Amino acid sequence: MIYKWKRLGENSLFLAPSIILTLALGIYPLIWMLRYMFYDYAGYGEALFVGLDNFSRLLRDSLFWESVGNTFIYAGGKLLLTLPLSLLLAVILNGRLRGSNLLRGIYFMPTVISTAVISVVFYNIFNSYNGMVNTVLMKLHLVSQPVDWLGPKHAMLTVIIVAVWGAVGNYMLLFLAGLQSIPQDLYESASIDGANAGRRFWNITLPMLAPVAQMVIMLAIIASLKGYESIMVITEGGPIGKTEVMYLYLYKLLFPVSTGSPVTQQLGYGSAVGFATAVIVGAVTGLYFFFSRKMNKVY
Amino acid sequence: MQKKWLGLSLSLMLAAGIAGCGGNNNGNGATAEGTPGAATASPAASAAAETGEPVQLKYWTDDRHDQEYIKELVNKFNETNGENIQVELTVMSENYAQSVDIAFTSNQAPDILRLKSGNTPEFVKKGYLAPIDSYLTDEFKTKFGSLLIDGVNRFDGKVYSLANTGLTLRLIYNKDLFDKAGIANPPASLQEMVDDAKKITEAGKSEGVYGFALNFKSPKSAFDRSIREILSLSGYQGLGFDLKTGQFDFAPYSQVIEYFKQMYEDGSFLPGAETLDIDPLRAQFAAGKIGMYLSFSTEPGVYQDQFPTEINWAGTLAPTLDGQIKGTSEIVSAGTWLGISAKSAHQEAAWKFMQYMYGDDILKTYHEKGFGIAVVPGIVEQAKNPEIGGMEGFLVGEHDSLWPAVPNVTPEGATYADAFFKYMLSGGDAKAIAADLNTRYNDALSKAVEKGEVAVTPDPAFDPMKPQGE
Repeated sequence: MIYKWKRLGENSLFLAPSIILTLALGIYPLIWMLRYMFYDYAGYGEALFVGLDNFSRLLRDSLFWESVGNTFIYAGGKLLLTLPLSLLLAVILNGRLRGSNLLRGIYFMPTVISTAVISVVFYNIFNSYNGMVNTVLMKLHLVSQPVDWLGPKHAMLTVIIVAVWGAVGNYMLLFLAGLQSIPQDLYESASIDGANAGRRFWNITLPMLAPVAQMVIMLAIIASLKGYESIMVITEGGPIGKTEVMYLYLYKLLFPVSTGSPVTQQLGYGSAVGFATAVIVGAVTGLYFFFSRKMNKVY
Repeated sequence: MQKKWLGLSLSLMLAAGIAGCGGNNNGNGATAEGTPGAATASPAASAAAETGEPVQLKYWTDDRHDQEYIKELVNKFNETNGENIQVELTVMSENYAQSVDIAFTSNQAPDILRLKSGNTPEFVKKGYLAPIDSYLTDEFKTKFGSLLIDGVNRFDGKVYSLANTGLTLRLIYNKDLFDKAGIANPPASLQEMVDDAKKITEAGKSEGVYGFALNFKSPKSAFDRSIREILSLSGYQGLGFDLKTGQFDFAPYSQVIEYFKQMYEDGSFLPGAETLDIDPLRAQFAAGKIGMYLSFSTEPGVYQDQFPTEINWAGTLAPTLDGQIKGTSEIVSAGTWLGISAKSAHQEAAWKFMQYMYGDDILKTYHEKGFGIAVVPGIVEQAKNPEIGGMEGFLVGEHDSLWPAVPNVTPEGATYADAFFKYMLSGGDAKAIAADLNTRYNDALSKAVEKGEVAVTPDPAFDPMKPQGE
């Protein structure tokens, strides 16, 4: 009995740092935010209790709802391009390809480079006036005048391209891990039975990959809905709000940037927006789990 | 088992060490919460002098353009102050306001802070700054008295900082491109600016030259460096506030926007200006690709150091709505320079450093080296003009003056800059947009007044030609 208590004491000591950090950096800020979404609070001075005012403001805040719409366009575009592309790359690199290790490293590289750095580079690449993309297109006579890649019409497409470039290597690696866990016997049996590569992919790879794919897609959905860093660097949500996404809108409320004249943090309203965005992301993830529940029962 | 306990002990020691690192290394302790400006500092300084331990002061700034000069001044002060005060300069690269917030909440606040008109009201509201009234001698009051502005460096009757330099706003134009387009003089009215931008584009478009640009990646930054100047010279406050009624009125603002919209529709803007940042804009101007833009008096320094250029350019007064000057150009970011932390345990020593920094020679040299344009009358009289190409167009002249501060409010929904930029690009009803802005900004103003965050005093006799009422 004494031994058990001793073990418990030791275990608690080892767990203590994690528990303390979780409480201090996870739970406490959450409770703090849940409280302040009912207040008018600028981060200093008196916090004024306003009941549900922040939520009624949220309902009539067209900027927020535009950002929600933009988030779904951004996330949808990113997912539609990233997932098939990363799966395709994973399947290719899972084969006996020369230099596949090097290629894996190259495709994975964007994941380890700072988003800010990537974004500055892409800002210059897509720069409408003298960016590399326009220079190449003009030299090849594919366009007669520069395309306004960062303008109101194309800015969303541009930030999606950047997001896909940054994410594809990451998901490729996860798919690759999933592919490598599929028993080779299945492929060998199928080959003996005369199944061609397409049939093996459709009837073995995809079903066997389903549980991993379910997790990968979920991670991709959450990351896409929460993504804003590269958009902040490339367009700052503009022009005229065309690339403003939920988390960028939230960031600007909580950490406004001064351009000379004073700006005020809106911690109270920001907390309400933060809660709403968390609910939206949670709801989408929940719906996905509900509709994809059969995927983890494949084998 | 022994190994486990050894591991545990080491972990605890490490944790204690980390916790220790996060502690207060400013020596604030209990006195950190003391009354601003109180006499607690003096005994601290004298005690330090007695024990031989130097009084350590931390000085934070986000100015990078003058850091070498400031370092020299700090070193000189450290060697010569004779009271064993040592100042440590920290130049922050970015996120200055956030760093200051974190420093104050974690009791690691600096003793001396670089203040700007953009952050001083927030710092005062948050209780970061100590009033300096008790230190102000008659000499200082005479020297800076005419520049003390409510809401800029004086709040609730207490002074928190003193002026040094300010920024003038000008139209910056490429003389070569004007010549090439057959334009004799820079525009005096907005209609002329629209016409000139069109002519320059027509003359140079085949070579990638366009008449006009602004850094619309941040519409507020773009408009606050352009429309602000146009409006103040036209007789209106430049951020949409009517000083006569004490209410927001964006009708004059919307008039200026119509001309910007016209330039955009004419194709006179540099392609991609919608997402252009200020530095890429400057790079293109330095390369001779932009006819004109509007910006601050920091530009001559930029074209000397950051983007050296061969083009023949100059700064001049911005155009006005109808070509008539009916107001004075607002000198912005003036009125503040250094301030003392309310949490500093060495406020008297901090004041001694401030006193040194606000000395005539230092302020004069600061202006002459081109780090900023002097606004302190006594310094303006003594100082020579900075030897930086193009600076002559930005110097404070008869059409420049300080304006009263306008209340800072945060409206629900889009800001004036975002709303008008949207109109500029995609059209709509300008009058309806101005009316909507008026409603939302004035609602926010009423709430801020109710909460006691801002005080508004309408001045029906306000004269934009003499904004300080001189």
